[in-house]
Amino acid sequence: MSRGSGGGYDRYITIFSPEGRLFQVEYAFKAVKSAGNTSIGVRGKDSDCVVTQKKVPDKLLDQTSVTHLFSITKYLGLLATGITADARTLVQQARNEAAEYRFRYGYEMPVDVLSKWIADKSQVYTQHASMRPLGVVSMVLGIDDEYGPQLYKCDPAGHYFGYKAASAGLKDQEAINFLEKRMKNDPSFTYAETVQTAISALQSVLQEDFKATEIEVGVVQMDNPEFRVLSTEEVDEHLTSISERD
Amino acid sequence: MDQVDFNAPHSMGTTIIGVTYNGGVVLGADSRTSTGVYVANRASDKITKLTDNVYVCRSGSAADSQVVSDYVRYFLHQHTIQLGQPATVKVAANLVRLLAYNNKNNLQTGLIVGGWDKYEGGQIYGVPLGGTIVQQPFAIGGSGSSYLYGFFDQAWKEGMTQDEAEELVKKAVSLAIARDGASGGVVRTVIINSEGVTRNFYPGDQLPIWHDELESHNSLLDILGAPEPMNI
Repeated sequence: MSRGSGGGYDRYITIFSPEGRLFQVEYAFKAVKSAGNTSIGVRGKDSDCVVTQKKVPDKLLDQTSVTHLFSITKYLGLLATGITADARTLVQQARNEAAEYRFRYGYEMPVDVLSKWIADKSQVYTQHASMRPLGVVSMVLGIDDEYGPQLYKCDPAGHYFGYKAASAGLKDQEAINFLEKRMKNDPSFTYAETVQTAISALQSVLQEDFKATEIEVGVVQMDNPEFRVLSTEEVDEHLTSISERD
Repeated sequence: MDQVDFNAPHSMGTTIIGVTYNGGVVLGADSRTSTGVYVANRASDKITKLTDNVYVCRSGSAADSQVVSDYVRYFLHQHTIQLGQPATVKVAANLVRLLAYNNKNNLQTGLIVGGWDKYEGGQIYGVPLGGTIVQQPFAIGGSGSSYLYGFFDQAWKEGMTQDEAEELVKKAVSLAIARDGASGGVVRTVIINSEGVTRNFYPGDQLPIWHDELESHNSLLDILGAPEPMNI
């Protein structure tokens, strides 16, 4: 009476395999890697920074329209790694949700609440045969009123955790190894150290030195809690500091 | 003697004003919120932020005007995030107008929307009771505004400086306060231009005196050094 292979459908829709795996969810993680980008997030003492590659493969593409960094509200940022189309719909829904939250409850949606919402939505997709999971790993950043800078990562399985440092995408494992070494002994990074740790992590993992136009950097700081994307000049300053330090 | 009804709806009798000048707008209002004849709040803030660059002056029902502002703020927030840049004053005024018009049977609030954007500079839009929208170089509203039509006919000039415009608004609100029982308290102004937003506050002793009004004094108790009431 053993079920054996589940009729072969366990690969095509989100039902359990006999070993207890959800193949579609695993494939979603593969889809995130397939996009080819790597992203890093670092939490400092009073700021957060996220960094990702800005690959513009087509010379005819307008560079300014390529981005993986989105503001959900003035104070919450989201870095999406994976399938861009899935990222856009997630961002759209997150924006609506955060705006409605602010309207309904009278205060800004906190980082962890938004992350939980994203994660819970992702979990729903893992239980419906009619909907596939999104091929996106989201890193949400913001300054929390009580807890200061927060960095959360949400994945297609519906997991979400707060992180001191996180990575996503093609070379996420190498990035984690780098970050673990850097963040041993629980350092308290200043704003500049936070940004430079994130950027150097990406550089080391991809083994290339970037130009300012090849990466996107997003930050939130306690003394300026609005999420902002760094300008090319600011990124250049950090890149210079990193190369001078090395 | 009439009993004061503390459960009557809060109304802001009000005087509200919005004026354009060369460079931006100045919004002004009194600060009285009344419940019947009782002044429920003598230091209200009737000039409410919708976005960083657009504010609204509220008159009429306090609740209705607050709810309309809340909805418009919510819609504008979403609009701004989608657009990727600050919303224009026209968009804000239109959202106000759509709510006012489509809910005209249930709302009793007159609003003046004022702000600055990079396309059209400083603008003032009046949205009175029925949900009309009209862009004007200056707008007045609230029960106290009845006493200001003649004043503005005479005193309004095109192309004022920021200081002239603020003086005009301050004077006008204080004139209306003098004559309208439903307006009173302090005068608040908000100046919006390309550089940002400045809020000002003018208590009674900083306002001009009109005809039969008495000068304001600090309480004699402060001067005489009277003992605590319970120590006598």
